[in-house]
Amino acid sequence: MLDKRVIEDVLYAALSRGGDFAEVFVEDKYNGSMKMVGGILESSISGRDYGVGIRIFDKYNSIYAYTNDSSRENLIKVAKEAAQALKEGQRDISLNLMKASFSDYNPIKILPSSIAKKEKLDLIKMGYEAAKGYDEVISQVTVSYMEEEQKVLIANTEGVLAEDTRVRTRYAVQSVAAKDGEMQVGHYAPGASMGYEFYDKVDVREVAREASRIAKVAVHADYCPSGNMPVIIDNEFGGVLFHEACGHALEAEFVSKETSAFANKLGQLVASPLVTAIDDGTIKNAWGTTNIDDEGTPTQRNVLIENGVLKSYLIDKLNGRRMGMASTGSGRRQSYKFAPTSRMNNTFIAAGDSTLEEMIANTEYGLYAKKLGGGSVNPATGDFNFAVLEGYIIQNGKILKPVRGATLIGNGVKVLELIDMVGNNLELGQGMCGASSGSVPASVGQPSIRVKSLTVGGRKEK
Amino acid sequence: MDYRRFLNRLIDRAQGRMENSEAFLVKNKELQIGVYKGEIAKYSIAESGGLSLRGSYEGKMGYSYTEKIDDSSIGTLVHDAIENGRYVEGSEDEVIFSGSESYEDIDHYNEALNRVENSEKIDFLLKLEKEAYSLDDKVFAVSACDYHEFEGERYILNSLGLDLKDKFNGAFTYISVVVKDGDDTKTGLSYRVFKDFYTLDYRKMAKEAVDNAISMLGAKEVKSGNYPIVFENTSFANLLAAFSPIFSSDNVQKGLSLLKGKIGEEIAVPILNIVDDPFLKDGFASRNFDDEGTASTFNKLIDNGKLVGLLYNWKTANKEGVKSTGNASRSYKGSMGISPSNLYVVNGDTEIEDLLYLANGGLYINNLEGLHSGLNPVSGDFSLSASGFLIKDGQLHRPVNQITIAGNLYELFKDILAIGNDLKFTIPSNGYIGSPSILIKSLAVAGE
Repeated sequence: MLDKRVIEDVLYAALSRGGDFAEVFVEDKYNGSMKMVGGILESSISGRDYGVGIRIFDKYNSIYAYTNDSSRENLIKVAKEAAQALKEGQRDISLNLMKASFSDYNPIKILPSSIAKKEKLDLIKMGYEAAKGYDEVISQVTVSYMEEEQKVLIANTEGVLAEDTRVRTRYAVQSVAAKDGEMQVGHYAPGASMGYEFYDKVDVREVAREASRIAKVAVHADYCPSGNMPVIIDNEFGGVLFHEACGHALEAEFVSKETSAFANKLGQLVASPLVTAIDDGTIKNAWGTTNIDDEGTPTQRNVLIENGVLKSYLIDKLNGRRMGMASTGSGRRQSYKFAPTSRMNNTFIAAGDSTLEEMIANTEYGLYAKKLGGGSVNPATGDFNFAVLEGYIIQNGKILKPVRGATLIGNGVKVLELIDMVGNNLELGQGMCGASSGSVPASVGQPSIRVKSLTVGGRKEK
Repeated sequence: MDYRRFLNRLIDRAQGRMENSEAFLVKNKELQIGVYKGEIAKYSIAESGGLSLRGSYEGKMGYSYTEKIDDSSIGTLVHDAIENGRYVEGSEDEVIFSGSESYEDIDHYNEALNRVENSEKIDFLLKLEKEAYSLDDKVFAVSACDYHEFEGERYILNSLGLDLKDKFNGAFTYISVVVKDGDDTKTGLSYRVFKDFYTLDYRKMAKEAVDNAISMLGAKEVKSGNYPIVFENTSFANLLAAFSPIFSSDNVQKGLSLLKGKIGEEIAVPILNIVDDPFLKDGFASRNFDDEGTASTFNKLIDNGKLVGLLYNWKTANKEGVKSTGNASRSYKGSMGISPSNLYVVNGDTEIEDLLYLANGGLYINNLEGLHSGLNPVSGDFSLSASGFLIKDGQLHRPVNQITIAGNLYELFKDILAIGNDLKFTIPSNGYIGSPSILIKSLAVAGE
């Protein structure tokens, strides 16, 4: 993507006024998307993201610069401008860039860009019709088709020279159900680090019907009651609970500055002994899997919490320096426009041995949160919130009725201790995770779990 | 590079195959500085941009874009835009616009901001961080102390002779502090969005952030129930920002906004006025023309409680046989959409002290979380994690957190009891949204 001699010249220029580490990140990414609203293909867009990011470390401090112009003169100019932020004199460095080799966890069979648009249009129509035809209560359906092919080159003064291509595919359906002047939304959006062969595995009609089913349940549901109660959170995207409540606070960006509730707690019991949590960037073709992270470090399987004991953080190069710890292959960024930081890949709670049926049967009164929406957390306090897309009230060990508009709030440190049942049905769900280095694809996951008590925010008294 | 000559070459090539075509180019410059424990921990400079081509081929509008802005990209742009348009339906109403009769001539670029030395900005941040640490022993960390500056240029050039260009800039700075009292950890934030660097006062900002955090120590829930709610200005502005898509004519036409068929109807109490003002002085979304090249216009959306307007681009306007309101909006990566400019609730006449007296036993909410997930712009329902204070006898009695407030925007519009006179804007994102503090009769609160 960029000549080795040019890369070397840029790295030398970056360290021309001091600093002890320099990195070049080159990105050339093809994006394609199509969107159908109300049965009409409203947009079809494709394009190319292209740019170079240059980073310099001086002990714990970091300088970052990026540009779209990858000519040798411009890159050297940008590297020198970035170096101006340093006050020291030049340092002698010798470079020996070695082409890195690493495992391929994301084998690709069919590049999405090689498929005719007409075929993709048929795929979108198929989902649209399945969603619209699900029930007469479905008033509007939006289907989005997404494909991307991201080529990256990462080189640094430690001698790393790594190149990789990341192909991702995603299909999203949003259904609106309308009844008596009210509207409710259902959403389902599976994705993978796969090519067009993704659609051999995923039936888009099933995806579409699932979105419509959620919307239909919500529009027939009553408002959710408020208060503290036991909450059963179902598997797959329910893992957004761990992602928000704990995952972000395990990121080195916060741990290194001791602004995380989990700082200085390695080896301590931080969760119910039923909880083992893992971040694994190597799961074959998973949405959040990459062969190398955006700093050129191979990804790995990181056990974060084992039987309730804190085992590891998620660490990138810069924050690892502050902590005196090695990278865990967790340095990620949305694009060349962002300096990388510690992020999650595929994060999940490991399977236990309860069943969902047992959990419901053992709950006198509570909420069964079958589908969760997104959420957010304050990593310093651990306070989190997320939305329940599909929920049911449980009474006397049985599902009583659907409820809508519920929000779950709580504290990450406390909720981990309050998990009292862990199911045996682990699944992963896909989302986009936003933080200081931008929006990156990440899987969340868990089996069904029960939290002894959480605050449920709704619109009715219990 | 002479971008106008380059864009003219692109349009010439596109016209070889397309019926009509338009180039949209954005060039950005950014500077970010962050300090941590007395050192420059983060320093980032950037120059980037993107170029989009849209054009009609056999009556269908297609789009393509690239960030590699040079002659080598022209062929692909034209080819891909035609291919992308091939299967698009319903684009008949989307037209390339030849231009408005006249445009305002307001300069949105503040030359003075450009002349501030970087050393002054760094010095400001270092003082700001130091001040925060010095204010209280409970200040455990300054988790962010950042300065962001941006400058943008926009070019729109098309085959109907439209040739527009503008330039804007601005900056914002923020500090986030973490305070600890035993096991109790709280955070506090202070930010400024500005065009004049010399209006910044580091002492005031540090005090605001530290006071915010300290005042929340000891916060706990309140009993679940219905409470009168005073939304602090920026909290209501954030809520309004999340719901602003309801004013888009595109969402209304697609049945994704409950404002469908409500023009002329009372949808709110008579004291509520909401406007979209692209000419607001120092507004971060101020502009003389929109992303289709249409002259910007001032628009009332809610006038004394009545819905009187929506936001249009040419595609949605043509569907209804009306004129664009100058709210076409896009990024070079996307197709033509709609967004507000400076959209805000007009100041009322109630002093903030009086709002608190009127809300006795209620809650003062100065922080909302989960705005991207806990609300539904289609139904108007929201259930959001919140924090603030319990109000007693017109005073902030004690801090409250770990609660949710839930309601419905359309019901809330009819439950407004009083509107303050302290209009403030949030950090700009999709439009620049502001509000004064607002008292609501009652919302459902979940806590203990």
